[in-house]
Amino acid sequence: MAQTVILKSNKYGINLILDAEVDFERLLTDIIAKFEEAESFFKNAKMALSFEGRPLTDEEQYRIVQAISEHSSVSILCIIDNDKLREQAVKEIVEEQEADNAIRTGQFYKGTLRSGQLLECETSIVVLGDVNPGAKVVSRGNIVVLGSLKGNAYAGAAGNDAAFVAALDMDPVQIKIGDVIGRSADKAMWSASKKKKKTEPAVEPQVAVVKDGNIFIEPITKGLLNNL
Amino acid sequence: MSEVIVITSGKGGVGKTTTTANVGTGLAQLDKKVVLIDTDIGLRNLDVVMGLENRIVYNLVDVIEGSCRMKQALIRDKRYPNLFLLPSAQTRDKTAVTPEQMKKLTDELREEFDYIILDCPAGIEQGFKNAIAGADRAIVVTTPEVSAIRDADRIIGLLEANEMKQIQLIVNRLRMDMVSRGDMMSIDDVKEILAIDLIGAVPDDEQIVISTNQGEPLVGRTDTMAGTAFANICRRITGEEVPLMNLTVKSGVFAKLASLFKKN
Repeated sequence: MAQTVILKSNKYGINLILDAEVDFERLLTDIIAKFEEAESFFKNAKMALSFEGRPLTDEEQYRIVQAISEHSSVSILCIIDNDKLREQAVKEIVEEQEADNAIRTGQFYKGTLRSGQLLECETSIVVLGDVNPGAKVVSRGNIVVLGSLKGNAYAGAAGNDAAFVAALDMDPVQIKIGDVIGRSADKAMWSASKKKKKTEPAVEPQVAVVKDGNIFIEPITKGLLNNL
Repeated sequence: MSEVIVITSGKGGVGKTTTTANVGTGLAQLDKKVVLIDTDIGLRNLDVVMGLENRIVYNLVDVIEGSCRMKQALIRDKRYPNLFLLPSAQTRDKTAVTPEQMKKLTDELREEFDYIILDCPAGIEQGFKNAIAGADRAIVVTTPEVSAIRDADRIIGLLEANEMKQIQLIVNRLRMDMVSRGDMMSIDDVKEILAIDLIGAVPDDEQIVISTNQGEPLVGRTDTMAGTAFANICRRITGEEVPLMNLTVKSGVFAKLASLFKKN
């Protein structure tokens, strides 16, 4: 008869590898037998317990812990969860929460970011000044530049393409939102026509968002703000 | 009260050495006691522009390594008794000196001079770090070209990160005829990008090339636009309020002359 329970030690304590097919009551008896067998080896050990090989309900986990403490002198300090699926689910929830936080909370940076300077932020960021060519702003949330954005901006840096980049004067070298990259059109770095544009009608604030896998830059309107 | 001023730019070839020579000479003309230090170790040339190359016996590295006394290495200018040059070493490189040693050196010179002007090498490496270590004030030289401005922007960022107290801008080699045609950035365009105080603008002037080749800084020569512009910059450095000279008037004449020649 194949073993239904295997005890394996790891650096935190004991890993129980359980048979996936066998009836739970049978499994429980086997676990007790295993621990009784190893009683002299464990003595009064304190350890963490983890399960592998079969999904267990909270009730079942509780009963296993209960059984172990009744039938041996081992004390179980905690149960380590190494269920990959659950771990994945928890990770996703935490990341979603973080991304949400990144977009909802923000910080200010006062001053001009010059070529070679990098501003990284875990939350959204408002830059009170210009972002010059060669400078880069990276944020897990949104980026708002109260000045000219002439360098690189990377919003939603954890892969969140719902983030946006807004600037009073939108003239970036590159914008990246989530995993989407947009670059400026090829043009002269400086030309008199560009200057003229600045003196005549005042440049209007614009916002960059991801739509259908592309970056769109458009004027900030009420309707647009509501959709953000 | 003495001041240590570093003349820097990031990009090479925009006129740091010419500016250093002219600003130093101009301050000496204003009866200040001035020392110019060439911190470009391995690429010595301020002495050439000043016309003092034949007088070099000891250099900056000799002073720092204690091979000679400061007094022995300082070269008195041939025109102004209150102007001195501390030349750079030509057979060594930037690693021969540390920022701490430079700071010590400039602090020592403060006791005797009103102005200590440092000619900074191009780049942002060791030589740049050495040059800015002891400075109270930085003058960033740029030309109205995107490449020079990009580098100047980087340099200003580094100066700010090093807590330089005062950072001012010289726009060099302006050609007003090109600016008015819309083919060159204006002073305002440059100021808008770099967002620091302007201490002067110097027009592109062929007289500069001539004076550099002769080893005679042209600052103060009122017959040249560049000479007047540098003299104005020196007065602004001492704290005097001097309005920006009108560069357009004269170049307007130049432009007219040029167009006349073109027609013919």
